[in-house]
Amino acid sequence: MSTVQQVDTPIVVARNRDNVAVGDEIVRHRMATRIIHWSVALTFFIALFSGMPIWTPLFGWMASFVGGLDTARVIHPYAGLAFIIASIFQFFHWLPDMHLHEDQKGWLSRKAFSYMRWERVEESGKYNGGQILFFWAVCLGALGFLLSGIPMWFPLLFPVWIREICILIHDLTFIGFLVGVVGHIYLGTAAEPGTYRAMTRGTVTRRWAKFHHPGWFKEVTSRETRKS
Amino acid sequence: MSEQALEVRRSSATMWGSKTGLRTKEVVSKYIDTTTCIGCKACEAACVEWNDLRTLATHQEGSYQTLPELDAQFWNLIRFNERTSDDGGPMWLMRKDQCMHCAEPGCLAACPAPGAIVQYSNGIVDVNPAACIGCGYCSTGCPFDVPKFSKSTGKMAKCTLCVDRVEVGLEPACIKACPTGCLQFGTKEEMVQLGNARVAQLKKTGFESAMLYDPPGVNGTTVVTVLGHGHPEWYNLPVNPHVPWGVRLWKQVVRPIGVIAGFAAILGFFVHYTKYGPKEPPEDTRP
Repeated sequence: MSTVQQVDTPIVVARNRDNVAVGDEIVRHRMATRIIHWSVALTFFIALFSGMPIWTPLFGWMASFVGGLDTARVIHPYAGLAFIIASIFQFFHWLPDMHLHEDQKGWLSRKAFSYMRWERVEESGKYNGGQILFFWAVCLGALGFLLSGIPMWFPLLFPVWIREICILIHDLTFIGFLVGVVGHIYLGTAAEPGTYRAMTRGTVTRRWAKFHHPGWFKEVTSRETRKS
Repeated sequence: MSEQALEVRRSSATMWGSKTGLRTKEVVSKYIDTTTCIGCKACEAACVEWNDLRTLATHQEGSYQTLPELDAQFWNLIRFNERTSDDGGPMWLMRKDQCMHCAEPGCLAACPAPGAIVQYSNGIVDVNPAACIGCGYCSTGCPFDVPKFSKSTGKMAKCTLCVDRVEVGLEPACIKACPTGCLQFGTKEEMVQLGNARVAQLKKTGFESAMLYDPPGVNGTTVVTVLGHGHPEWYNLPVNPHVPWGVRLWKQVVRPIGVIAGFAAILGFFVHYTKYGPKEPPEDTRP
């Protein structure tokens, strides 16, 4: 048993298991999680580049990425559908980890601000309250996109007042998503070094884990000592 | 078409709002007098013929009406409405239905494809199939439910007010075909004058509620209609048509807010990074 573990490098372990420490690294996202995350991201960006030129001529140039505005109109709903399917997988995959703990309240106001001032937020759990809220916002957004998107895909089957409401819902959902995704990318890359690799190779350093998610770090490392 | 491009007053999905082309022309207008229409459908035939539309099978719905609705292949439809008047007598109301060519076109406001819907300086609102992406937003924006989706082309189609004929000094095909003179064509000013005169005449002869339908909610239409009875809804016309509030809210409020919010978010995080820098563990963090 122990010999096998020594042969397995962190990236090999990260194919199948997460929340385990391997050498200097801790597996944060196993391969399944990463594939689901990037499926959502990829389909979102295809939908983004085919949707934004239809949204406003200001972003008309984006249509060239997908081959023109009429192509955009054709592929946008399918990209959206793929995004919804990926989001459904994501929802069930992440659901067990996405319940707010007792010490994770206050993220809609006080905690979010202090977090963004880089103050330490000591919390239990694998994800902090902000991440959990972002997960739920994404799920709600996907639902909003889906429900408002269907009448926009087949407008002539729906009465005009439903189409009007749906266009507004689709727009408002998108605005929320846009701001949210910009923040998500910022926090996942430039703002917090060592985070991005959790979604690429799947592992983080022990130092990163102890600093960003002390509760999770304790959980993972305590299992490790018990085993050895 | 190249000549018309010089005379564009407004074009869909442009960055700078309405623009006037190099030339301006007098606003033209179609005059429809429902009180002298005999429902012969010559205008329907002329429209199909001139625009080379495919003839569709008619629907029998217990009425003389050719089709229940306008179609991508049928831009001109005489609507037949039967009513009982207050004194118990029958009323047989006919109205030629087609694109109204609004001065404030809801279709153009809603359209997301640059140049797919244009309003020429003479007031004609036209769909440019080369630019149309067939999304159907124009149908959402139209208070008269006129633009129709063509399954064969994947684009929207509607009455062009025979822009190709008007451009070379001819009257639209439907006008040319009308045997009673209930359809007239000229400048908007002339047609409104004609309409007002006819309404005054009708009022004298017992049609007290006669009116000229030129709804102010869309800044007037390029098609003016004389109604024998002051109830547009009897003729399948909206009483007070306007660009839908949802379309206005979306284009004029929500969308600008969204664009600003998007750029503000990007800028905001750059500023944040400049102020706080990356969030890294302090030196004493030992795993």
